[in-house]
Amino acid sequence: MLKILIPSMFMLLTTWTSPFKQLWSTILMYSFLVATLSLTWLAMPTDTGWFYINNYMAYDPLSSPLLVLTCWLLPLMIIASQNHLAAEPENRQRTYISLLISLQIFLILAFSATEMIMFYVMFEATLIPTLIIITRWGNQMERLNAGTYFLFYTLAGSLPLLVALLIYHSSMGSLSYLSLTSLPLTCSNLYADKLWWMACLLAFLVKMPLYGVHLWLPKAHVEAPIAGSMVLAAVLLKLGGYGMMRIMIILDPLTKELSYPFIILALWGVIMTGSICLRQTDLKSLIAYSSVSHMGLVAAGILIQTPWGFTGALILMIAHGLTSSALFCLANTNYERTHSRTIILARGLQMVLPLMATWWFLASLANLALPPLPNLMGEIMIITSLFNWSFYTLILTGLGTLITASYSLYMFLLTQRGPIPHHLILLEPSHTREHLLLALHLLPLLLLIAKPELVWGWTA
Amino acid sequence: MNPYILTILLFAMGLGTTITFASSHWLLAWMGLEINTLAILPLMCQSHHPRAVEATIKYFLTQATAAAMLLFASITNAWITGQWNLEFMSYSLPTTLVTVALALKIGLAPLHAWMPEVLQGLDLTTGLILSTWQKLAPFCLLLQINPSNTSLLLILGLASTLVGGWGGLNQNQLRKILAYSSIAHLGWMILVLQFFPSLTLLTLLMYFVMTFSLFISFKVNNSTTINSLSMSWSKTPIISSMVPFILLSLGGLPPLSGFMPKWLILQELTKQSLAPLATLAALSALLSLYFYLRISYAMTLTMSPNTLLNALPWRLPSNQHTLPLAITTSLTICLLPLTPAITALLTL
Repeated sequence: MLKILIPSMFMLLTTWTSPFKQLWSTILMYSFLVATLSLTWLAMPTDTGWFYINNYMAYDPLSSPLLVLTCWLLPLMIIASQNHLAAEPENRQRTYISLLISLQIFLILAFSATEMIMFYVMFEATLIPTLIIITRWGNQMERLNAGTYFLFYTLAGSLPLLVALLIYHSSMGSLSYLSLTSLPLTCSNLYADKLWWMACLLAFLVKMPLYGVHLWLPKAHVEAPIAGSMVLAAVLLKLGGYGMMRIMIILDPLTKELSYPFIILALWGVIMTGSICLRQTDLKSLIAYSSVSHMGLVAAGILIQTPWGFTGALILMIAHGLTSSALFCLANTNYERTHSRTIILARGLQMVLPLMATWWFLASLANLALPPLPNLMGEIMIITSLFNWSFYTLILTGLGTLITASYSLYMFLLTQRGPIPHHLILLEPSHTREHLLLALHLLPLLLLIAKPELVWGWTA
Repeated sequence: MNPYILTILLFAMGLGTTITFASSHWLLAWMGLEINTLAILPLMCQSHHPRAVEATIKYFLTQATAAAMLLFASITNAWITGQWNLEFMSYSLPTTLVTVALALKIGLAPLHAWMPEVLQGLDLTTGLILSTWQKLAPFCLLLQINPSNTSLLLILGLASTLVGGWGGLNQNQLRKILAYSSIAHLGWMILVLQFFPSLTLLTLLMYFVMTFSLFISFKVNNSTTINSLSMSWSKTPIISSMVPFILLSLGGLPPLSGFMPKWLILQELTKQSLAPLATLAALSALLSLYFYLRISYAMTLTMSPNTLLNALPWRLPSNQHTLPLAITTSLTICLLPLTPAITALLTL
């Protein structure tokens, strides 16, 4: 673990002391090195225990896929940001890279935390670099509002979580994951215990996001620059899912009844946000709402609390992370050429940029959960476990799958197929950097078809 | 101001606080507070601006009222119990009166109305002294009395955090924002006073460090409104990049040091089975966070993407001593991992 953390911290130093001409290459190579080293975390023997590092950090089959995703994403963010930052003064470029690196450090500490307060502090710590990236380097005036919504929605959910964790700590004595399985709260029917249950989950539901509290996500994703959108979609939403999975252990007897409305809300959110996607004119907003839709399914899968539910949720989180980030990169290629996010302004691109159309095709197919991609595996497992809980959820999830397929195809057909308008004939051809970026997103997804055991968590 | 007079006034302020620290007799404590008040009055109106003079008068009247109430309470205590010792106040009337008097002295809600207007009339340095040094003596007394009424302190604390949050939302004058921020932080300090007094001291010291950084940053930029902060990135780019962190630390966001007092106070309140109060106090901190965020938007996060071609303010060589600012800013940002050490130090 230290061979990842210490190089990451020193990457900050490298950012500020590299000669400017070699800054991006150096940081890219360094972050790829760290990402490659992080792949060792996936090599697990076949038990479901923890891999102890020290008193404060450990990883297990639940957190290691998310850790690897975090480390893998940093070089991708560096590649994606290089173009739009090229015009900025030198120190601002270094600051931006430092923000991305510090975000990665906080995320590594969050996913490998063994104690819930440490997880909480790191969970909140990721807010600050993200806020700065969105509000300082976003491109439109609305970014300030987006930053405020992002910060306040998340904090309003997580302050009750802090109080709930402290309540649990004062009555049970320890908040370490290692002992949580043996310390469930005694079953009681007081109203206060139900409030406590709610307080524990609200932060993660807001972060995921759940349908009713999802308003921050379209704003934040749309207004953020490309690296911000990538890290938000790929990893920060998964912090919510991961936190929920960890804290479910102590919420046990209450969850049977109390999770009912939230499962329904999550499934309803899948349909509603999917329908909104069909009516979007802004490409990034479409991808953002599609994120809400997928994460609604993940939330339902986690709240069901069955092994298939958890496994499906984890696989869908990893697969969705890669897919959504790839879609944002594709939207960014459009944005860099036309400086607009309107879909119909950049349509029929297959004529002009055929290889990019391949990536669009693959990413759209991944988004609609085509077999044999891991997206499908996650969705099928969640849908099955929901069906096991209640037959009627099949209506909602089936309808959700149908709507997901429609808007993914809609997005693909509108951006790629059809006649190309006259103002787009002279578009700049695709850069190798862009192809590399998308290949690095989609290749792991394709490789995961072969060995999903790496990312399916505890189910041995 | 004439350096001799300034020296005498500053020494007198120090003397006043020291007398209160060292006292075990109520009269001596009162005397220290009065010396403190009288010494700062000339500092406050040294510019002879009408607003400064008005602020001085308001400060004098409120502090004199508070000191008189304190004297009355100690006399009542002497009449009932027959002794003047500071620690042995066991009857509820004098204790409550002392608490309310000290609340007026430091500016807790609902006795806070003088604070924004007084701070607005002062320059930033005197405002800093008012927000930090002048709170030491009253807190020394608050830490020593045994509160009789549990809910009084809790009401004062919660009301202060709420008033501090809501009051600052409509302000664009920095000194008034700093006044409301002070009220909110004092509320947090009072919340935990009767349960774990060391945390009150910890919060007070952390607040001193954070607010010192903020006042000095504003002074270096010579700005007193939010609008005038917007050009600070061209005058002092490094300070402009650090101020959002200072502001977010004041707002109590992890992993900055400002989270430390809030976390420990919430922990103590939940241990005392006051979890709903803890949640309310935590959520009221979000109100303050909104106007801190607004200042950081105006100052740093709307910085121009590259160097501007139009006329910028002159960057005159500055002989301001920024070393204290550097030290306190580093403490404001990086002190959270030292929480166990600091808690251990203060619990001695």
